[in-house]
Amino acid sequence: MDEKRVKVEVKELTKAFGDLLVLDNISFDVYDGEFLCIVGPTGCGKTTFLNSLTKVYDINKGSIQVDGEDIHPKKHNLAYIFQEYSTMEWLNIQENVEFGLKAKKFPPDKLKERSDYVIRMVGLDKYRNYYPSQLSASMLQRVVIARAFAIEPDLLLMDEPYGQLDLTLKYKLEDELLKMWKEIRTTVLFITHNIEEAVYLSDRIIVLTNKPTHIKTEIINDLPRPRKVSDPEFVALRNQVTDLIKWW
Amino acid sequence: MKTKEKSLAVGIGAAAILSVFLIWYFAASYTKVSLFFPTPQKVFSRFAESLSVPIGKYTLQMHVLYSLKRVFVGFGLSSVTGIILGVAMGYSKTVNAIVRPIFNIIRPIPGLAWIPLAILWFGIGETTKYFIIFMGGFANIVLNSYDGTNKVDQTLVGAAELLGANKFQIFVNIILPSATPYIFAGLQVSLSTSWMAVLAAEMISSYEGAGWIINMGMNTGDTVLILVGMISIAIIGFALANIMRVLERRLCSWTVRGK
Amino acid sequence: MDGKGKVTVRCKDLCKTFYAKNRKQDEVNEVIRNLNLEVKENEFLVLFGPGQCGKTTILNLLAGLVDATGGEIEVNGKKVDGPSCDRGMVYQTTALFPWMSVMKNVSFGPRMQGVKKEEWKKRAQYYIDLVGLTGFEDSYPVKLSGGMQQRVGIARAYCNNPDVIFMDEPFGHLDAQTRYLMEEEIEKICSKEKRTVVFVTNNVEEAIYLADRIVVLTEMPASVKKEYIIGLPRPRDYTSEAFLALREEITQCVEGNVAEEEVQG
Repeated sequence: MDEKRVKVEVKELTKAFGDLLVLDNISFDVYDGEFLCIVGPTGCGKTTFLNSLTKVYDINKGSIQVDGEDIHPKKHNLAYIFQEYSTMEWLNIQENVEFGLKAKKFPPDKLKERSDYVIRMVGLDKYRNYYPSQLSASMLQRVVIARAFAIEPDLLLMDEPYGQLDLTLKYKLEDELLKMWKEIRTTVLFITHNIEEAVYLSDRIIVLTNKPTHIKTEIINDLPRPRKVSDPEFVALRNQVTDLIKWW
Repeated sequence: MKTKEKSLAVGIGAAAILSVFLIWYFAASYTKVSLFFPTPQKVFSRFAESLSVPIGKYTLQMHVLYSLKRVFVGFGLSSVTGIILGVAMGYSKTVNAIVRPIFNIIRPIPGLAWIPLAILWFGIGETTKYFIIFMGGFANIVLNSYDGTNKVDQTLVGAAELLGANKFQIFVNIILPSATPYIFAGLQVSLSTSWMAVLAAEMISSYEGAGWIINMGMNTGDTVLILVGMISIAIIGFALANIMRVLERRLCSWTVRGK
Repeated sequence: MDGKGKVTVRCKDLCKTFYAKNRKQDEVNEVIRNLNLEVKENEFLVLFGPGQCGKTTILNLLAGLVDATGGEIEVNGKKVDGPSCDRGMVYQTTALFPWMSVMKNVSFGPRMQGVKKEEWKKRAQYYIDLVGLTGFEDSYPVKLSGGMQQRVGIARAYCNNPDVIFMDEPFGHLDAQTRYLMEEEIEKICSKEKRTVVFVTNNVEEAIYLADRIVVLTEMPASVKKEYIIGLPRPRDYTSEAFLALREEITQCVEGNVAEEEVQG
C-alpha cells in the first residue's frame, strides 16, 4: 500500500456465549484498498467472528468502525460473498446484478452501463439473459462477484467462497477475483481455512488462534504478483503460516 | 439468555390465558353475553361435579374413556393398516401401481362423508364409529408412510448392499428407520383427525362419550354442559398431542443435533 | 507398490452411457469410453481428473452399484455383477446410517453377515480405535464433525474386510485443514492395514500425497489419459521441490483438457 489510510477499524471485539468466551479482545485495522486474509485453525470461531463483525450477533464489547463511523448496513456499502451463491432464481443475470445496485440507490440512468461493465469483467456477457438455474456453480460464483463489486463496496467480506469448488476452477476464480480487485480497488476481507489460498491472494494475513480466539500474529505478504505456488518464496511463506496454525 | 427468553414466553402465555378467562368472566357476569354464555365459575364447578355425579349413564371421566377407547381402536386399526399399505406402496412399484389409482379416488373424500354409508352398512353400533375414525386418519398415514419409504436415500441402500446386507436386512435396518420420522408425522396428524372423527360419530349416534355430552347439552339447551364437554375434549387432545411428541423424540432421537 | 504384482481389480474396455428421456428429446450422455485399468494388490491408486469427468460413475461401476453398458470388471478374478461385500466404499457424503451409533455403523457389515456379537464388537472396536474415535462408540453421526463422520465411514469400510476399498472424494466436503489432517490419518491407517484402495479426487495435492500411482483421466467421456508412478518417500512433504514439480506437471496434464464449462439448458 502506498498510502495506508485506515478504512475499517476493529477495536477490542469480544464475544461470549454465556460463560464460553469465543472472541477475546480482537483489534485490527483494514487499510483502504487492501486485500486482507484471515486464517485460523479449524474451529477457531470463524463464523462467530464474521457474524460479530457484521453485527448479526450483539457483541459484548468493542467497536467496529468504517471510515470513522460505527458500521451500519444502511450507512455503509457492505457486500458479502459466502459459500452459497445467494442469487435470486427468478431474476436473470443482468437483473441480479442490477438488483444490488438498485438496493443501494444507484442512479437509474447509469444502471445499465454499470451492470454491463461488471458482467463483462467476469466474462459473462454472453449469459446476461440466462437465469441462475441455467448456469454452472463457477459461473454463479462469478455472478455473485460481479454483483458484489458493482456497488463498489466500502468493504467486501468473503467467507471461504471457494471452499467446495473443484480445484482447477478454484484457481481460475481466484485469478479472476484478483483481476476485479485490482481494477476496482475494493477493500477485501477474506476469511479462509486454506493457507495456500491466503498466501496466494492477500496483501496481509492475520492469523487467529484457537478458542478463545485472539490474534496470534500478522504477516505482511509482499510477494510480487502474479504469484506462483511453486516459487521457493511462496513455499517459505506458506510453511511459515502453516507452522503458526498447525493443529493437526 | 435462552432461559430468560423461555420464561418470558411462558409468562406471556400465562398472561394471555388469564386475560381470556377474565374477559370471559366479565362478559358473562356483567353484559348481555350472559344470556347465552355461562360464567367460568359455573362451568368449572359443573366440570368438577361431573367427575362424581353421572351425566346420563356415566361420570365425565367414563365418557372420556369411552371416547378414548374408540379413538384407540379406530386409530390403531388405521395406523397398522395404513403403515403396512403405505410402506408396501413405497417399497414395491407394483403395489403402488395397483393401489395408487384407487387410493387417489378415495383420498379426497373427507372421513366424515362416510358417516351415512357407515350407518347403513354397520348400523349405529360401535363398528360404525370405528369405521368413521378409521377413515378419518387412514389416508394421511398411508401417504406419509409412502413418502418416507419412497424417499429413502438410495446411497444408503447401496452402502448397505456393499456391506453385505440382503434385501430383508436392508428393509429392516435402512428403509424402515429412515421412514420413521415421516410415518410419525402422519400419525400425529391422523391422531388429531381421529379425535375429530370420534366426536362427530358420537354426536350422531351414541349413548356415551365426550361428543354425546356436547350433543346432550345442545338438545337440552344446557350451555354449561356443552362447555364442560368442550373443555374435556381440549384437555385430552392436548395430552394426546404431547404424548405423541414425546414418543417421537424417543424414537427419532437421531435426527436431533446438539447435546 | 507391491512387487508381487497380483492384480486385484481389472477392468477391460469399460463403457457407460446414460440414456435419459428429457421432454421430447432423448438425451444420450456418454460418461466412460473404453476404460482399461488394473489395480494391483495393496496398491493405493488415485483416479484424478477434472470436475465432472465421471469419476464417481467409475467407482459405482467397479462397486457394482451401476451396470456397465460395455466391458468387463473383475475383482480377484471374479466377475462383478451387483454389489457384494468383497468391495467396500467410502462416500463423499459419508452415507452413514444416521439412526445407528458409531459402533452400530462400523459393525454393520459383520452384523449383517451373522458374525457373533463378541466377534463383531471386538472387530469394530479395533477399527474405531484405529481411526481415533475411541470414546465416541455410542454417539450418533449428527453429533460428530465432518472429519469425524468420515473416520466412521472409513472404519466401516475397513471393518467389513473387503478385497478392495473405493473412496469417492471422501474429503471433498471438509475444510482445507481438516483435509490435511485426514490425509495424514488415512496414510497412517493404510500403512498399518495394507489394503487395495482406489481413491478418487480432483485435488492434485491430495493425489500426490496419497498415491502409489496416479491415473489421470480425460474429460468426459472418461478414459485413461496418463499414468504417473509416485515414488516419493512417505510421509510426503507438500512443499518439497519434487512434490511441487510433480504437482505442476500433473496440473499441466489436466489443464490441457479443461474446457470452458458450458451452459446447460
